[in-house]
Amino acid sequence: MSPQKKLLMIDDDPDFVEGVKSILVGAGYSVDAIYNPKDGLKALQTGKYDLLLLDIMMGRGAEGVMVARKIRNDPKLRETPVLIITGIREQIAFLFPGGPVHPHFVAVDELVEKPVEPKLLLERVSALLQAAEARRADVK
Amino acid sequence: MDSLPRILIIDDEEVVRDSCTQILTGMPVDLTTAPNGESGLRMVREQIPDLVFVDLKMPGLSGFEVINAIRAFDPAIVTVVITGFSTVDSAVEAMQNGAYDFLPKPFTPDEFRVITQRGLEKRRLLLETAALRRERDMLQQHFAAIVSHELKAPLGSVQQNLYALAQDLQTVASPEQKARLERMVASIDSLLKMIHGWLRAYSTDFGQLRESFTTVSIPAVIAQAAETARPHAQRKAVEIQTLVEGGLPAVRGDETTLVEAVVNLLGNAVKFSRLGEPVRVEAAYREGAVTISVIDTGVGIPPEELPSVIRGLATSKAGLEAERGSGLGLGITRRIIEAHQGTISVKSDLGKGSTFTLRLPPADTPADGQASTDAPGAPIPQEGGLA
Repeated sequence: MSPQKKLLMIDDDPDFVEGVKSILVGAGYSVDAIYNPKDGLKALQTGKYDLLLLDIMMGRGAEGVMVARKIRNDPKLRETPVLIITGIREQIAFLFPGGPVHPHFVAVDELVEKPVEPKLLLERVSALLQAAEARRADVK
Repeated sequence: MDSLPRILIIDDEEVVRDSCTQILTGMPVDLTTAPNGESGLRMVREQIPDLVFVDLKMPGLSGFEVINAIRAFDPAIVTVVITGFSTVDSAVEAMQNGAYDFLPKPFTPDEFRVITQRGLEKRRLLLETAALRRERDMLQQHFAAIVSHELKAPLGSVQQNLYALAQDLQTVASPEQKARLERMVASIDSLLKMIHGWLRAYSTDFGQLRESFTTVSIPAVIAQAAETARPHAQRKAVEIQTLVEGGLPAVRGDETTLVEAVVNLLGNAVKFSRLGEPVRVEAAYREGAVTISVIDTGVGIPPEELPSVIRGLATSKAGLEAERGSGLGLGITRRIIEAHQGTISVKSDLGKGSTFTLRLPPADTPADGQASTDAPGAPIPQEGGLA
């Protein structure tokens, strides 16, 4: 078995984080949680994470979008897969009028809606991790 | 009235127009005059004056016609009639028709100034009232949106934790415990769907909703709505009976919000039903419209409350004490139906029950699978209970 994957979750709702974390830990992942975008970004830059779970609708407006933009512009973080977890899709449509339902905040991301069922959550996480591994193998 | 208040004088007598102009010279107003009703109305439309003086007796359009036209154009424009001393009766009539005041000829400069001031003051109050009303309407809408947002996040968290709990307990929970968890998940899921629908109803520009209209099968809508309302109905031993006419035309619309509309009506019907009484949903094609009626034999609505109930602004006080409804549901239902170019109506007998009827225009093109008995994935009986 490959070594345990390290995931970081940035979401300002501790209750929600608990619900997601428990599912992921149950599936054998290690999960750190940060509850605000600023510290979350710092943790992502200093720690070595295999995947980020990001809420884009934090705080007033969509501070998570700012985190996503910084990740996209950071050469070291750009390849980190991101699973965007957000409220209803309508809000996305509101933020990006006329845009596609999934605006692709970072180069490698997926989007799921809150609340997310365990099966879907684990599928998406595993798919993103596998795709990242495949990319690394290509580079070598 | 940020700029100078605009005053328009419509009178066929030049001497009246001139003397009025002289009297108001030096006052901070923007004054124009017109010699007849036709040109006066044109100026009203162009300038949107704050205050209009109208002579009652003019050749061509009469003062009454001018007042009515102004009122129809913008009821917030204040009108004052100018009238001969002998025709005070017609001044009274003009005021009954919406004129704010009257100025009897001959008048002194002071009388004219006082009436002008009063007219402008009235205009200020009218504008202020309109602004306050707009603000209240906005608050009312935002309130619902804020409440929905505030509910959505915590409910989503509860759901997420239920998912996690179900996962954790997968190997140790008994079948009964698993079933209980599933019921909780299902309940919260329907609450989340409802909030989602509310947010959508409030934040959606209905013109936009129309862009995503598809052909919607009414039997499918009713089956889904009955399914959603069933758990609540079962708790009150209320049976939901559906009766869908065969060969019902489809409608153009948004299925999710149409289901929401029927769920709202069903929820109310169950809420105001007595224990064990059935609630009926009937769909039919009547007088060129697809009708969906939700019929209960519950507590009914007092006649004087019917208008506000349908506007979605109030909840009937006749509601059973423990059942506080939200008028919001009906208001949203009305807006959903109006977005579909439909209408909603209600008949109610206090103590005997209520019937809410939605009327929707049929789609131009027939939908697939129109037979009422084989709505996709959700067959519903021609008659009988789903609950």
